[in-house]
Amino acid sequence: MSTLSVKTDISNNAAIITLEGNLDSSTAPQFHEAVQKVIPQNPQELVLDVEKLDFMASAGLRVIIFAKQKLGSTAKLILVKPQDQLIETLKMTGLLFSVTLVDHYPE
Amino acid sequence: MEASTKSQKFSANLDSLGHIREFITDSAKLAGLDKSKTYKLCLAVDEIATNIINYGYLRSGIENGIIDITIQITKDQLIAILEDTATPFNPFDRKMPNEEELKKPLEERQIGGLGIMLAKENVDEFNYLFQNGKNLNIFSINL
Repeated sequence: MSTLSVKTDISNNAAIITLEGNLDSSTAPQFHEAVQKVIPQNPQELVLDVEKLDFMASAGLRVIIFAKQKLGSTAKLILVKPQDQLIETLKMTGLLFSVTLVDHYPE
Repeated sequence: MEASTKSQKFSANLDSLGHIREFITDSAKLAGLDKSKTYKLCLAVDEIATNIINYGYLRSGIENGIIDITIQITKDQLIAILEDTATPFNPFDRKMPNEEELKKPLEERQIGGLGIMLAKENVDEFNYLFQNGKNLNIFSINL
């Protein structure tokens, strides 16, 4: 069974969601729930700390697209330290055009 | 290297996805695939297995479904075959996002079609057959 740990922090205008483990169809609902929780705060930045996220399937990408659609075009989507394989997936699916990759947050 | 074959059955529920990826990873190791190719094969198989579980079995109301995975390793290829007896589902019938769609800002994007796309793009060859009442999804990776 795959496991995902999801931690959520709100600070100033940013919502930070830390994802660790495996994000597939069985665990994506946990990520979706975290996103639902931060949307009403209307964060200007949605930060996903994915340094320790080892796997992400399309179920995870759909939650990211959903989040951006809810937060609107002015909100910034930031990914902290994605692994190479995840960057490859983002590139393949065009999501890389819409996210900012950073090594640390705050920079 | 001699050609080798092994197979394992998984129950068709989402909790099996992690086990399926483990089985694929172990097989990839045997075939000597590097980390990147192993991940891509896991992702491709995971996407199709998810569809089989969610649409083929669960949404069709079929209980106790099974996904039977066979791995064949030959001199120059690793082939993974997913076999199921769920509703016929041809991934090639699904519309995939085109180049233009992929470049759109996320606010304007359609949410569907990404899984099938990841299944096709992450392996060297992906084929689907419906044979003897079974769906066969066949993934090949060149070694």
